[in-house]
This record gives sequence, C-alpha cells and structure tokens, in this order.
Amino acid sequence: MNRIHTLSMRTAFLLAGALSAGAAFAAPPKPIQLPGETVKLKPSNLPGFAIAQQKCAICHSADYIAYQPPGMTVTQWTGEMTKMQHLYGAPIDDQEIKLLGVYLAATYGDAGSVTAADRALTAAPTAAPASAPAAGSRTATGGAIDVQALLNANACLGCHAVAQKIVGPAYHDVASKYKADPSAVTKLQASIKAGGSGKWGPVPMPPFAQLTDAQLKALAEFVMKQ
Amino acid sequence: MSQSHDPTLLNDPRRRFVRGAGLLALAASPLAAFAATQTGEGVSFADGPRPLVKYPGKRPLIRVHTRPPHLETPFSVFNEGPITANDAFFVRYHLANIPLAVDLATYRLSVTGTVGTPLSLSLAELKAIAEPVEVVAVNQCSGNSRGFSSPRVFGAQLANGAMGNARWTGVPLRKVLEKAGVGAGAKQVTFDGLDTPVLPATSDFRKALDIEHAMSGEPMLAWAMNGSDLPLLNGYPVKLIVPGYFGTYWVKHLSEIEVLDHPFEGHDALFMTTAYRVPDNDCQCVAPGTAAAKTRPISTLAVRSFITSVQNGGVLPAGRTVELKGIAFDAGAGTRTVEVSIDGGQQWREAALGKDLGRYSFREWRAPVTFAQKGQAVLMVRAVNQKGEGQPATADWNPAGYRRHVVESTAVTIA
Repeated sequence: MNRIHTLSMRTAFLLAGALSAGAAFAAPPKPIQLPGETVKLKPSNLPGFAIAQQKCAICHSADYIAYQPPGMTVTQWTGEMTKMQHLYGAPIDDQEIKLLGVYLAATYGDAGSVTAADRALTAAPTAAPASAPAAGSRTATGGAIDVQALLNANACLGCHAVAQKIVGPAYHDVASKYKADPSAVTKLQASIKAGGSGKWGPVPMPPFAQLTDAQLKALAEFVMKQ
Repeated sequence: MSQSHDPTLLNDPRRRFVRGAGLLALAASPLAAFAATQTGEGVSFADGPRPLVKYPGKRPLIRVHTRPPHLETPFSVFNEGPITANDAFFVRYHLANIPLAVDLATYRLSVTGTVGTPLSLSLAELKAIAEPVEVVAVNQCSGNSRGFSSPRVFGAQLANGAMGNARWTGVPLRKVLEKAGVGAGAKQVTFDGLDTPVLPATSDFRKALDIEHAMSGEPMLAWAMNGSDLPLLNGYPVKLIVPGYFGTYWVKHLSEIEVLDHPFEGHDALFMTTAYRVPDNDCQCVAPGTAAAKTRPISTLAVRSFITSVQNGGVLPAGRTVELKGIAFDAGAGTRTVEVSIDGGQQWREAALGKDLGRYSFREWRAPVTFAQKGQAVLMVRAVNQKGEGQPATADWNPAGYRRHVVESTAVTIA
C-alpha cells in the first residue's frame, strides 16, 4: 500500500512535471506592455484640430506633431500633409490637407505665415468636412441615418473593424462587452462623443463632438448589433 | 545638450563671444539645472521638451514618439564604453502594428521567390544552418542628428543618440540563401518583419539589398545582441544586420526573405523607392532648402566622430591635464586617425586610438589636453578612415536630413 502510494505519488509528480514543462513550452510568451500616450494635440477653434484628432491619430501618436521643428510655415505643413496622403496613404482629402496645414502652422509653426485667406478658408463652416457627415448622412429617401456614410465620413473604419482589432477594438468585441448592459447605447454614445482611453488599451480614441445626438445614437446602435 | 553647431560661426569672434556669454548666463541661472534634465539634447521642438520614458527591457530613454515606438539613447551613454548596452540601445519603428510578443513555437522565417527550395525555418532551424558568426557593428539611424539640420526639415527631430554599437551573433545571410538555392537571374533580395501598417493604404516596411550584397557574406541574420537574445523592441527573435549600412536596412522581427528576379518596386516598396533616399551625387547633398533632381536609396555610413567625455555646456578645469575621450566610426574601412582641437579648429592634435573591436565598430579614442586659461573653449573632433575619407567642416544638407556627418563642436567653460 505504502509502496503503491509512493509510486503513485512519484507518478503524479512526474506527470505534473511533464505537464508543467509542456505547458511552459506551449504557453505563448507574455506580451510586453508599452507606456501610454501622454501628448495631446493643442486645442484650436480651427477645423483642422478635429481632423487632426481623428485622422492623424489612426496611424501615430500626437507627439509626432509636437516634436516637429518650431516655426514651420503653412506651406511647409501643408506640404507635409500632402506627403502623408500621397506617400503613406493617410485618409485625408485635398480640402482636409489645407485645413490641417492651417491648423498645424497656426498652432505649432509660424502663425505669421497663415494668411487671412487661409483663415477665411477654414472659417467657413460649410468648408469643414466635420460638417459633411451631417449633410451626407441622410439616405436618398430621407429620414433614416446612413450609418455607412457616417462611418466613412468620420474615418471610423481606419481604427475599427467589425470582427478584428485594428487600432481600436472590434465592434463585435464592444457589443459583447456591453451586451448585458441596458444602458449600453447611452454609454457608447458618450464614448464616441467624448473619446477617451483605458477601456480597451492605452491608445486614445479622439472625440467626435461634432456629431448630433441622432448620429451618435445610430452609430452606437450599429456597434451593438455587431 | 547638443554637440552640433555650425563651425563656420566659430571664425567670427563676435558670434563666438555672444554664444559664450549665453552659456555663461545659462550656467549661472536656475535654468542650468533644468537644462541638465530636459532631453532635447540641443534640439528645439514645436512643443517640447521630450520626456525620458522607461520601456520594457530598457532603461529610461528619450521618447521621440510613442506610437509607433521611437526612443533615442541619451548621449551620455556613449561615454560608458564602445559597446552600447542592450537596455540603452535606441528603438525605431515606422508602422504602429508591432509585435508585443513573438512565440517561438509558431515563429517562422520564410525564404521564397527565385530559389530552388523555399524554406520555412524555426529559430532553432535557422541556428542550425551554419556555424554562428559574430560582428561588432554600428547601427545608426539614417536620420540621426536630423534635429541639427539647418534649415530645419520635417521628420523625427533626433539629436545624436539614434545610434549604437553591439556585438551581433547569427548566421551569414549567404548561408541561408545558399540553403534555399538562389536561382539564375536573381537581382534583389527583400526583407520583411512582423510589424505591419495600420491601414492597407500604407506601405509595409520592406527593404531590399542587391543580390551581390546579399551573397557577399557580410549581411547577417542575428538572434543575439551583446551575448543575449535580441530585446523585443530591437527585433526579437531575428534581425537583419547589414554592417556599414544605415539602420533602415536592419529589419527587425525578420519573417520573410524573398529573392526577386527584378528590381523591388510596387505598393510595399515605398521605403526603398520613395523614402530613405538621398541626392544621387557624390556628397549626397543639395543647396540648403532645395530639392534633389535625382535620388537613390541611402546606403553606407559616413565617417563620424564624437567627444563623449564632456557635452556642450560642460565645465572642465584650467591648468591641469584633462583626458578627452570619444568614439569614431565609418562604414567599414576602419578608423585611421582621430584629431582633436581645443581652440575651435585652429590647431589639431592626434588622439590615441583604443582597442580595435573590428572595422564596423565604434573605435574609442583618448587625448590628454590642458587648458591654460579660464573662459570659453570650443572643442572639436574629426576622423579620417582607412580610405582617406574625412568629415566636412561645414554641414552639407539634404531634404530629408539624412547622414549628418559634419565635424562636431562642443562648447565648454574652462573654470
């Protein structure tokens, strides 16, 4: 009895050893944790500010902008935005390039290089693409909000996909996390409007404060259906 | 603080006095303490300064960018010795989707394209392909010192710390390509790592070497750095080592090698065909502020030398011997001579070279000097390699701020 017991103990010990060795080999390595982003874009009333928050942040942190040289002109900053579009595939159109160039030069560069005409360009509210989603978000039949147009106009799909994490979480994962929460839509509306970080990792989501409550609700409901 | 100033200014005594006065004022003010802890290292920013940040496997390094991670080595590290410690080595990514872990159970390095036998190698299989070899080699970022470009240019505003020197262990790339059997008509070999772009519209980060270079025996597939596994942020588990070439070719987390029977081009060739290019002329430079008519991919390191034992704004004693110490390197001809000046470049004396760790390595140098008088002094250092190539007295310029290699100046106070 004793002997059997001893043997079984030894067997158990060996088995446990083999299992743990096997487990150690099979377990994927623990991912390193990178420090979070600390630099925020400088606020501005210029429409380029919202575009910069939403578009630049898809591919890189705001310190890419903050740590550029001081004193660059609106021509230089606009040229750099053209480079971002042409070379690196930044999802910004020609109008956004101009608005970004003005915001960046006025806020980070040689503000004196920004002409009155530049400011007039960016002051006209109809020129701001931030307002474009509202215009383009109605379907031809009127009434219902076209979620796909909203997603496209606000570059949501730059950072999110339905089924997989890109920069931000997959919509499906968001829906799973909040599926039992009766106030899920309200919470998501607030998150989209204000942006934030921490719930899904250190990469911040920019605020989309220009969206109407109806648009926010449509987006939140779309996410919860995924 | 910076080591780089336009040496042409030094010939103007008035300018020299003004700068000296500025340094004195700084040393005497409470700003001096601030200057010692901020990490611009002499570079100004639109909205700085940059912080020192601790990353996994690293001591606190200068944060150049957060996402994708880009870290610069504080310049004081280069005075610790000719080998740069793994935890101090700079980090640079181009694309934000980087591997935060690599599982060796599933990691494979593929060799495909114009080869007889495509390969898919685990790390263990790669290690078994040939006897390991070692090389001590400098990895320097193409844009190292870009922050000192005048006029300024966009890009990472690096001071002088985007470089490092390590002992790399691996197998020659040639052995791996021979195992696969390079087909007739092979022209270039491309290299891709596990990092990927956020958006499909963005080019992947891939680099290419000509087949002759790839088969030369010099490029290496390394898994160890200074005797340890590569740090994750420096390319674990396998990194391409291209001795004498700028760091842009040293692909991290190497996962795909493809032999091409044509020149590398297309959507994912941007970092060869559009970015990382220099003016296609002897000096790889153009008149400041102008564009280049023709460009070519950046390639080999220029001759450089630095004083490491004292930095800009430092204080040295008068009336007794002080040993200046520093490093020099080039693209692999090897350092022939290093000279220092303590009078802003009027007189030069030869420094004693330290141990030779190999022709691609930092070469340490030392020079005893004595300052007769108190006041301001401008120290300078210049190197010449075994091919007779030296450093320009005035910085040349190119639109991307690559390959800075001007004779460095260090302004100090003698007290």
